[in-house]
Amino acid sequence: MRKTHRLAVMAAGVSLSVVVAACGGGGAKIGTGATVHGKPLHGGTVVVAEVPGASPNLIFPLDPSTNSNGYNVNMTEGLWPFLVYIGDGASSGVNPQESLFSSLTWSHNDSVVTIVLKSWKWSDGVPITARDFTFMYNLLKANYNNWLSYIPGLFPTDVKQVLTPNEHTVVLDLTRSYNPTFYTDDVLSTIMLLPQHVWDRTSQNGPVGNYDETTKGAVAVYNFLQKAGADESTFATNPLWQVVDGPWKLSAFNSSGYYAWVPNKNYSGPDQPYLSKVEYTPFTDDTSEMDTLRSGTSLDLAQVPDNDLKQIPELEAEGYSVFQVPTNGVAEIQPNFWPAGPSTPEGPLIRQLYIRQAMEYLINRPQLVSKVFGGYADPGNGPVPVSYGKQWDTSLELSGGPYPYSPSKADALLKANGWKVVPNGISTCIKPGTAAGDCGAGITPGQPLEFQLLYASGTAAFDQQNAAIQSSEAAGGIHMTLKGEPFNTMVATTGTCNQQSHTLGACNYELEFFGYIPYSSDPSGAGNFNTDAIGNYGGYSSPEMDKLIDATEYGSSPSAFAAYENYAAEQLPWLWLPLPYYIWVYKKNLAGITPTDPFQESLNPESWYYVKSAS
Amino acid sequence: MTWYLVRRVGQAIAVLFGVLVLTFILVHAETGSTARAVLGLKATPARIAIFDRVYGLDKPLYEQFVVYIAHLLHGNFGISYQYGQPVSTLMAERLPRDLILLGISTVLALLVGVPMGIYQALRHNLLVDDVLAGTWFTLYAMPDFMEALLLIALVCVQFHWLPPTFPGNISSVGGLFANWQAMILPIVVLATNTVSGFSQYSRSSAIQQLAADYIRVVRAKGVPERLVVSRHVLRNSLLPIVTILGLSLPGIVGGAIIAEAVFNFPGMGLLFWQAALEHDFPILLGTTLVIGVATVVGNLLADIAYGILDPRIRYASA
Repeated sequence: MRKTHRLAVMAAGVSLSVVVAACGGGGAKIGTGATVHGKPLHGGTVVVAEVPGASPNLIFPLDPSTNSNGYNVNMTEGLWPFLVYIGDGASSGVNPQESLFSSLTWSHNDSVVTIVLKSWKWSDGVPITARDFTFMYNLLKANYNNWLSYIPGLFPTDVKQVLTPNEHTVVLDLTRSYNPTFYTDDVLSTIMLLPQHVWDRTSQNGPVGNYDETTKGAVAVYNFLQKAGADESTFATNPLWQVVDGPWKLSAFNSSGYYAWVPNKNYSGPDQPYLSKVEYTPFTDDTSEMDTLRSGTSLDLAQVPDNDLKQIPELEAEGYSVFQVPTNGVAEIQPNFWPAGPSTPEGPLIRQLYIRQAMEYLINRPQLVSKVFGGYADPGNGPVPVSYGKQWDTSLELSGGPYPYSPSKADALLKANGWKVVPNGISTCIKPGTAAGDCGAGITPGQPLEFQLLYASGTAAFDQQNAAIQSSEAAGGIHMTLKGEPFNTMVATTGTCNQQSHTLGACNYELEFFGYIPYSSDPSGAGNFNTDAIGNYGGYSSPEMDKLIDATEYGSSPSAFAAYENYAAEQLPWLWLPLPYYIWVYKKNLAGITPTDPFQESLNPESWYYVKSAS
Repeated sequence: MTWYLVRRVGQAIAVLFGVLVLTFILVHAETGSTARAVLGLKATPARIAIFDRVYGLDKPLYEQFVVYIAHLLHGNFGISYQYGQPVSTLMAERLPRDLILLGISTVLALLVGVPMGIYQALRHNLLVDDVLAGTWFTLYAMPDFMEALLLIALVCVQFHWLPPTFPGNISSVGGLFANWQAMILPIVVLATNTVSGFSQYSRSSAIQQLAADYIRVVRAKGVPERLVVSRHVLRNSLLPIVTILGLSLPGIVGGAIIAEAVFNFPGMGLLFWQAALEHDFPILLGTTLVIGVATVVGNLLADIAYGILDPRIRYASA
């Protein structure tokens, strides 16, 4: 099962598994999991540790805007899988076997997509039809502002009309042309089919009708389903939630976040689960999870908590195998470009590309990977992790990015632009002005080259990382002060600084660091770097960047993504940082866990099984 | 006594209202957008507006307070921003667990601590007193998380004698007792921390009582030492213990954050702590109110117990 990042908007700094090994930077070598030999056994229970704080609280799969819990999808995706299933073994592509469609055909200059649904059935034996798609669409069309996953301009408001020429065909007539890859990966992979024949009602015992076909009715149905879907005491007992099209049904839930899946005996898909049960058990914090792992008793699969990688040999001795999964996102320092803020003199400094380039040259990313993250991190060469592979990464990124660690290049850049560089001191501007070789617009004579980095505190690895950056920047003459705040305080007090949503008070920071920003399945800059995007926290604005991002979203050129990626890597709308991997352990007699695709952060239990003997 | 109780209840209501006003102002004085803190980085202005409207955060503060009090009078503590569940439901699930865990550990500490203190007082300045005092002070000074981790490392990781944490599938009080093995370590950790206080307070108090004139008179009358201790010293040594017990009630209700976190035992303490991190005002207000009630009730019970233990205390004339 894949965790959808569009839903996990609050994930940064909360769910990130930060990996810290010995200060010497060593650590065990971790691969992608052990190969388990043996005949698959049917039956058995696997107990999975939930990441602390990741308990679901809503079973209706269309979360409302007022629900910030990005983890509900972990529980619901096995019950109502997405129309497009991303992740096929070690590949990050579309999985045609697991997806609910049999074909996706684009036409009319990529503004119309025809979706032919497979002839699958709901768990109660009723066939899945196009009506189940239009039911979902009608609910969202009438309630999109109250849907957590809604991105302005995208589904469902970009749909002119939905046609259903036959029982298994849906035609989406869109308001504009799209890049089919983008739309498939980032939109169609976030919507699911809903059982109209059971859910199209406005009360628990009311009759099923076609209420969704009017706006008023769709609002009433949506409100009812959300209210019923928030009643934790009936998650596992309400008959509504027992009608599923995924491989699993919910058999138990308690308010602490514990839940259990049992196989959907009528699942139409290719992977009938081997296991008879999967339990997800909550933990109050990392310590209690790690203690349970070390005691070698009840957990079969768990993510290794922060700062505990050094205990991997002990876990292996307890009978666990280890594997790593790349994190789907980008780690970054976000400069604040917004012209109205910061009000401090540092604003003009941040807007100078050569200064951002010098700062990036002074970040010793290989050293951070090795010393802070024990070698278990993506190097952070640009906007796309190199662990995604050649499908997404350009040669520029794969070769180390445009700004590999180089104090001499940083020094030369600053001197060439009118600065008196003072290593381990404070450099000052000695050539103010806007001509070539001058410091740049808005920078005053004698202005010091200094910044404050606001960062989410409370994670030892981030404290170490930011202290190391402060030190290496200082060696190059850039003075950086650190200010740590709790993650939620930072989120509350800093804003997305753009024309629509900024407030001066919330846009007064200079540099900020949250942890990492999760990507959707398609790791483009859409939503992060285009002007006024909601994820463009620092108000970066570049017509060229907008054009390149639009080409990845709406164009059809196969080279569009690479053009965007290289431009973003060079322009530094964010300063790129290493991104730690997730490290998992699982019992050695368990198979089918790996390989996992690079965009996955949670797993596919329908392919897991026990074997008689473990290698 | 009746008038005294009426007066104390009146005072309690005033105190609780004051606590509520103060807490309400303090939590709302927190800088930044609550909606953004809860909804996360990519909260759109439209989404923030919906959140503020749903939770009434778009109203003036005084209006929010009036609405909150009105809801409170109907037993409605509000809906948690973080969990999407009624605060009363969340507290009703967690409070019984804490009452059981902390209640058992407190009773255990009492049963061990008080006799131990009396025993030490009777052997005042002897080697056994010094050894026991040193032991209790060491345990008292040891942070409970450290004690918990040491015990887990030894008992659970090294020897696999007991489970280190509560299973996540426990949803009822009965489930706690069904997993009684998982309760042993947290009870031991919480009790050893408390027993030190009980034993040392009772020791000091008993030493004072043993030196008192009335004890000399009782002994001079030839009353057996066993009766001197059980009928006279013990009863009079209990007064400071009553104070500690009364003050420990809010602690029992408020939970034990460290023990809850280490032993995977979601209770009131963690509920409060996570609410503070997540800007979850309804939970903060609800738990503060419950702890405030427990504080007032604990004090009241202690006062009543004073009167029972020491008839010289006359509340009617107070």
